[in-house]
Amino acid sequence: MIPQPGRILADLAMKLASSVAPETTSNFAMANTGLISMLMLSLAQDSERAVANRMADIEDMKALFHSPDAEPAPGSDLRTAYCERGPTSLYLSEMDAFHADGLKLLIALHGWAEAHSQALDEAIWQFLRTHTERNKFDLPDA
Amino acid sequence: MHPDLKPLADRFVHYLAERWQTPVRVRTIEQIPGGASRETYRVRVETAGEVQGLILRRDPVSSLIDTERALEYQTYAAVHGSAVPVPEPLILEEDTRHLDRPFSVMREVPGCETGIPPLSAPPYAAVRERIGHNKWRLLGTLAAMDVDTLGVTRFMQAPEHPAACELDYWAGVIDADALHPQPVAQAAIRWLRRNLPPPGPKLSLVHGDYRSGNFLYNAEGEIKGVLDWEMAHVGDPLEDLAWSLDPIWPWPERVLAGALMPRDTAIGIWEDASGMAVDRETFRWWQIFASLKALAIWISSTEDFVHGESKEPILGMAGWVLTDRQNRILMDRLQPNSPHLYAEAPV
Repeated sequence: MIPQPGRILADLAMKLASSVAPETTSNFAMANTGLISMLMLSLAQDSERAVANRMADIEDMKALFHSPDAEPAPGSDLRTAYCERGPTSLYLSEMDAFHADGLKLLIALHGWAEAHSQALDEAIWQFLRTHTERNKFDLPDA
Repeated sequence: MHPDLKPLADRFVHYLAERWQTPVRVRTIEQIPGGASRETYRVRVETAGEVQGLILRRDPVSSLIDTERALEYQTYAAVHGSAVPVPEPLILEEDTRHLDRPFSVMREVPGCETGIPPLSAPPYAAVRERIGHNKWRLLGTLAAMDVDTLGVTRFMQAPEHPAACELDYWAGVIDADALHPQPVAQAAIRWLRRNLPPPGPKLSLVHGDYRSGNFLYNAEGEIKGVLDWEMAHVGDPLEDLAWSLDPIWPWPERVLAGALMPRDTAIGIWEDASGMAVDRETFRWWQIFASLKALAIWISSTEDFVHGESKEPILGMAGWVLTDRQNRILMDRLQPNSPHLYAEAPV
């Protein structure tokens, strides 16, 4: 087993942008190599942090579901059941499925909070800010 | 000529020769990058000793935007000759026998650039403000045009409630195509439904994708052609204005809208040209809608990239990189007490 796939992917992306792109024979091919390189850099970042970020999101969502402000909202049984479970394995596809289940509950809760609980609404927005920032891609300006 | 393009070039000139009833020879053909909704080629052909530049736009296997090519072509035809310059439309061919997929042909507008990167270097950097002035003046001019006089209502429906109509459509795209739940998009949809503005005072032809990158400018700062009318429709002119000012287009540039000029300057030029005043509250609705519509397009392109036949890098780039950026813009637009890291605060 060789570790650090994210770093290798990022190195290949840089190689593609700096060595392969200039050797292409058309503007179209050069533009495509640039896009592929940027996409590879993004996927490299996501592959390194995916498990940690999905788990952090899940824990944050569970904290919101547990909050007293959420108690009166419809669907408390579903949220409780979610909080008692976890991903069935560390395979990313299974973590993504569990993460998606949590986001569906969060979307429903957010819709309720907008009409009934300003504190919960603001807490959910704060989660969305944290979620968006922790999952953002750090790329060269383009 | 790139060898990969020779079969397409051969079939295209065969088609032209048959259509024009005269021998046609290809001088050059190159694929133009950035054509996300159509495969776009610049072709120089020779007929009877005369060389002419053509733009061939062929439907892709899969696209960022699911659009109706006939509607786009008819829009070019309606706008051509008006105060808003567009390339002359020459051919619409929907019979797939010729080039496997439908295509259209426009006359090339030579000597122009389209992208944002050239704006920061000579000779365009010196005329950047002039380009911006022309960009928003033309958009205001388009907004002021009467849709019946322009003739677009012959093939476009005039919606009773433009904002509701657009929101329903793009919310539907997100519901249909999202591969993962989208909490920011859903919050935006709820906000837009709660704050739906009444229909505006005027229906206009809305370009639907009016931004830096979709018009041809020259070294004198003139705009010689507005491109990519595939999302054109009759609607509220504030939709185009808001779209043109979204922070996604000049990213990471924050101050200059479209990498050209400050937003308020652009809005002032648009108001002068359109004869309309921008109601800031209604405009905020359209700004949030613009960011949501863009996010819908990126979400849809992700679905196309993952499940569709096409693996064009532009679809993947939109799917991951642009979805991330657009989510951050929407966060800034909607979060109470937003720090406004990526999008301007409402005025």
